[in-house]
Amino acid sequence: MEAYLGIDVGSVTTKFAVLNQSDELVFHLYLPTQGKPIEMVQEGLKEVKKQLPKDIDIGGVATTGSARYLAGVIVGADLVKNEITSHAVGALHYFPQAQTVVEIGGQDSKIIIIRDGIVTDFGMNTVCAAGTGSFLDHQALRLNMNIEQFSQRSLESTTPVRIAGRCTVFAESDMIHKQQMGHRTEDILYGLCQALVRNYLNNVGLGKDIQPPVIFQGGVAFNQGIVKALREEIDTEVIVPPHHEVMGAIGAALLVHEETSASKQKSQFKGFGISEIKYRTSSFECKACPNLCEIAQLSLNGEVLARWGGRCDIWERSPTS
Amino acid sequence: MRIGVPHMGNLYIPLKALFQRLNLDFVIPPVNNQRTLSLGVRYSPEGMCIPFKLTLGNLIEAAELGADTLLMPAGSGICRLGYYAKTQEQVLHSLGYNAEIVCIGVSQRKLLGLLEAIKRLSNNASWAKIISAFRFGLAKLNVLDSIERAVQKVRPIERVKGTANQLFAQAVRATEQADDYQSLKRVQKDYLEQLSLVERDESAEPLVVGIVGEFYVLLEPFSNLDVEKELGKLGVEVRRSIFTSEWTKFSLFLNPLGVNEKDRLHKAAMPYLKRDIGGEGWETVGEKVLHAKDYDGLVHLAPFTCMPEIVAQNIMPSTKENIPVLTILCDEQLGKSGMLTRLEAFVDLLKHRRRAKVKV
Repeated sequence: MEAYLGIDVGSVTTKFAVLNQSDELVFHLYLPTQGKPIEMVQEGLKEVKKQLPKDIDIGGVATTGSARYLAGVIVGADLVKNEITSHAVGALHYFPQAQTVVEIGGQDSKIIIIRDGIVTDFGMNTVCAAGTGSFLDHQALRLNMNIEQFSQRSLESTTPVRIAGRCTVFAESDMIHKQQMGHRTEDILYGLCQALVRNYLNNVGLGKDIQPPVIFQGGVAFNQGIVKALREEIDTEVIVPPHHEVMGAIGAALLVHEETSASKQKSQFKGFGISEIKYRTSSFECKACPNLCEIAQLSLNGEVLARWGGRCDIWERSPTS
Repeated sequence: MRIGVPHMGNLYIPLKALFQRLNLDFVIPPVNNQRTLSLGVRYSPEGMCIPFKLTLGNLIEAAELGADTLLMPAGSGICRLGYYAKTQEQVLHSLGYNAEIVCIGVSQRKLLGLLEAIKRLSNNASWAKIISAFRFGLAKLNVLDSIERAVQKVRPIERVKGTANQLFAQAVRATEQADDYQSLKRVQKDYLEQLSLVERDESAEPLVVGIVGEFYVLLEPFSNLDVEKELGKLGVEVRRSIFTSEWTKFSLFLNPLGVNEKDRLHKAAMPYLKRDIGGEGWETVGEKVLHAKDYDGLVHLAPFTCMPEIVAQNIMPSTKENIPVLTILCDEQLGKSGMLTRLEAFVDLLKHRRRAKVKV
């Protein structure tokens, strides 16, 4: 059986999606990145190997997400694709009529505007992570509950309180203030959901023409409170697809399937054996000019496989020197 | 008296030539780097834009090298730049540097104002000497820009990525070292020839993206995280309307004669914006309207908190001339990986758009 693998290594979670020859999802996996992208990619590959039939033949591998280049070198990716395009492709595969994709992940949030099956505009949060998964996790922890409880409790709200969602720091102090005033937890939780949705629409969604159907993807779409608040705020059809949390990985797998079928090239995939290899990462300051760039490098048995991070490309061009 | 100047792209090279020919005592601070930025950010008032922060960092680094007469452009009617010099002087004084900032007001008196300023700085050198030095500086500026234009064409289609950038870096150094017209001409000829010989993919039809927006962030690659090089790596041909040599030609020589290169842009922007709003806001809108047909997309660069460009950014989505625009706000908080993700997605968008157009 021929299969296509998409790996989405995000800041908070690492996602795997395996598609068969007819682009059906046969396996998917959702792991916490825990700040160890290499180990998580290796662990994920082990799991993928375990779950798939023995005679599996990987026809192509694509990586996406913020660690796409690192992951790409490790697995031998045939395609390294940005997460905006990957999410759009994933959404369009299941919903060809989609006009808007809302994607809220661990630290990134995006909006993608699609017309007639073509991306026409997009936006992504810049320096502020308010309203993303990490912030919700943090608040749930502070209220001594897990994120599933957060999601359930927020739905029980009857009179949500208004919370300043402009900034994570202010949202938090505002939440504490509301707690100390004696507001009910569920009302605070749902108030927070509303604040985050407002923040998202005012920042990432600013000036974007949001038209239905809206496809809501990313890990945060698990949160019922946020889904409800989004529906209320934009007052239009919001679809949460079944595999919303791995849509980026699915998109990447679709793209690599398309590309390898067009080029008829054999996959560069290094095989499942790489799960056992010990990679080493390190960094140094380049002293070639006053920019003093921080160069990160990935090596295996003392041999440098790749380098990143310079303003010029003297290190990228000759990784071995 | 020791003169110091801030950086903007390769402008230090013509300035250096000018000062050398006038036998002035001067320092060129280190080119923009992380330390420049940190200094600028630390000592700038809150909410200031990246051109202010970086030039302040340059001035501090020049003062550290003993400069006591610092040159800054200034003028009225051109955004906050008008009071950069005064504010920066106060910062320098509070840091204990006894330096004076000399404002070069090019916006009002044009060429004459600039030449008079040089005359004062050069301790009354003869007009013949000043004009000769000025001409040589201009010649270097023109050589640099002519080579850069060629580089912009080669970058997206070269077979070995990075070749054009490498040649450009060498050409910049050679231009800096050339000390007469003859060697300068040779540098220009040499490098234009070498660039024309770079092996390229002749069949490629690269996407064409216009770089528009605020003057400084367009011309200082450190402030825009080398957006042009990154687009080149992605196989995109960049068109930039602003070049220092062009700007000098028009603002110093042709504008006073009544020739305004910006009239075209202003006329194009008219249905959406009827007046100058400072900075390059008016021109940015005009570029979008004018180039909606011949470019695949626009990358709009603006300093964070830049009022004119923010106004332009919000007008652009409503023009009927339709072309995708990616706005990048330049600031010390701008991260390279975030920017690359956006550029890659933008290039994908443009590719798909072109493909769809071809089908129709």
